[in-house]
Amino acid sequence: MTFTDLMMLMPLAVLGAVLGLDVVSFPQAMISRPIVASTLAGALIGQPGRGLVMGVALEFFALESMPFGASRYPEWGSASVVGGVLFAQTADGTAGAMTVAALAALLTASIGGSSMVLLRRANAVWARKQQARITRGSGSAVVALQLVGMTSDLLRGGALTLVALVVFMPLYEAVTATLTISPVLSRAVVVSIASAVGLAAVWKVVHTTVGARWYLLGGLAMGFGIAAALK
Amino acid sequence: MTLEIFRIDDRLVHGQVVVGWGQPCSLGFLVLVDDEVARSEWEKELYRMGVPPEMEIVFDSVESAVARLAGYRADARAGMLLTGDIDTMARLVAAAPDIRTVTVGGVHHKPGRVPRSRYVFLTPAEEARLLELAAGGVTVVAQDVPQAAATPLEVMLRGEGPT
Amino acid sequence: MNAPVAAPHLPLRVRAAMLLRLFAIQGVWNYETMVGNGIAFALEPALRRLPGGHTGDRFRAAMARHSGYFNAHPYLASVAVGALARAELDGVPDAQIERFRVAAPGPLGSVGDRLVWAGWVPFSSAVALLAFGLGMSPAGVVLVFLGTYNVLHLGLRIWGLHAGWTRGLGVASALANPVLRQGPAHVARATALIAGVALPVAADGIIGSGRAVLGGVLAAVAAGAVMVTLLHGRIEGWRVATFALAAFVLYAMVR
Repeated sequence: MTFTDLMMLMPLAVLGAVLGLDVVSFPQAMISRPIVASTLAGALIGQPGRGLVMGVALEFFALESMPFGASRYPEWGSASVVGGVLFAQTADGTAGAMTVAALAALLTASIGGSSMVLLRRANAVWARKQQARITRGSGSAVVALQLVGMTSDLLRGGALTLVALVVFMPLYEAVTATLTISPVLSRAVVVSIASAVGLAAVWKVVHTTVGARWYLLGGLAMGFGIAAALK
Repeated sequence: MTLEIFRIDDRLVHGQVVVGWGQPCSLGFLVLVDDEVARSEWEKELYRMGVPPEMEIVFDSVESAVARLAGYRADARAGMLLTGDIDTMARLVAAAPDIRTVTVGGVHHKPGRVPRSRYVFLTPAEEARLLELAAGGVTVVAQDVPQAAATPLEVMLRGEGPT
Repeated sequence: MNAPVAAPHLPLRVRAAMLLRLFAIQGVWNYETMVGNGIAFALEPALRRLPGGHTGDRFRAAMARHSGYFNAHPYLASVAVGALARAELDGVPDAQIERFRVAAPGPLGSVGDRLVWAGWVPFSSAVALLAFGLGMSPAGVVLVFLGTYNVLHLGLRIWGLHAGWTRGLGVASALANPVLRQGPAHVARATALIAGVALPVAADGIIGSGRAVLGGVLAAVAAGAVMVTLLHGRIEGWRVATFALAAFVLYAMVR
């Protein structure tokens, strides 16, 4: 990858940085959800429709993730930029495109989750360094600490996106070049796995509510009806 | 189904408990054991607001919890007992030795505590109290949410707990 | 724990500054003080109004107190910020404020997690997935998701700050609001219905021209969902999915 190639990835890294920041630090408006983030990434390279398709697949996976306080969860913002760009950059009909792009996105989301854990530890170290000033009630120390954390998170998301793209772009091309499976089968495999995770996630959050399981079954029946009617 | 989870968590009722454990384990009731909360009406009201309408929450002191434990165990619903600190759980176990497993779900930072995992910070006295529990035959593990692996006490105290 | 009936005047620019800072409340989230520094950060514009201003002893004591450990749902933390600002400006005794700081985080976290993370997020996703399945444009799907989600998101932050400020440390009664108490159950039913409709329609939308394989997909989804549900509590579905996709890619490469 040349310096020029790297520079061309910078807008995507900036997008990954902003979306990575949204996951926890600011403003948590869920622009980091795959259905948004992947579509924006696709739009940035002129393929919003393909970005959206990848985003929908990843959104099924993300249905399961709940960012409870200190628990560990995947970071979907930067990961969706990676998955969205990989899938959107290839022509429709590329063998195995969606499968490999989804796998790259899931791996990035996992690494992104770990990077958030590291950042939270770093935040604690910085907080300890400011402890004396904060204990004395320094307003400026509180504000400075807040800005350091947010800037670091922005850089984390940007660096993660850039490194993931640098690693996965050539890998993606190499792997898809060896595959002969049809694009339809590739999509079907991703949809099957993603829908299973998504359906199980919905079940998990609604099954304790009285009557909700019947709403789900009724909805599924209607959904299959609509899908059949759309053919 | 019965009262099957005995959790130490200084946040007591919060999202990990109500949603993180409550949904996959279909928890039907919570027993909050804290001598101070049991005496404070506004705190009980606050904790009630944190529990969904379909989940029951009862408040006990250590003494009343020991007296009612058999009833909780006989409950057909799945339940979780919560204490806000290690000392309260240790006092409970001392009076109710049939508690065989204790889960450390969250003991957070304050001056004097050393990090043992991302959600467990302990003073030397608290470590000693947990080791006493273990020496008495209680299985002590660290686990914040059910999807995470339960980390044995000795692993956690080596600082090799959940990261 | 009841605050005086009439809340004192808090200028609009101070409320606006607090609200803006609430969006960054988790900016330096860490495993030691969690959202503590963010609470102090959001309170700071109000605390400047304490006697002596931002260089006074009361300001410094309050900033030191509120930057310590605190954990709550990021949106519902606005309730605590409003209540604590009111308590500090009303001169409520330190011990009472400290007790509130211990008791409030859990319930605020629980209410927020049920309503937002386990409720409104999947609901908004389901609505957007349905919009995609019904053929809406990429911009339309994005706007549907962000619009749906942020109605509640923004509403909670604004309401929380107001409720906390007007009720002070007696804010528990505000948590009895039907949106917070009964809302999650209604949202869960709506999510179940819309997600039920959306999943097959959206899946069909992704597969596109390959509908001939839909039967196989349905069987795989049913089997996979049962497996992931049985594994809940032991391993997350996305991790299982990662292994499954990796295995499939390897198979496709070597076959």
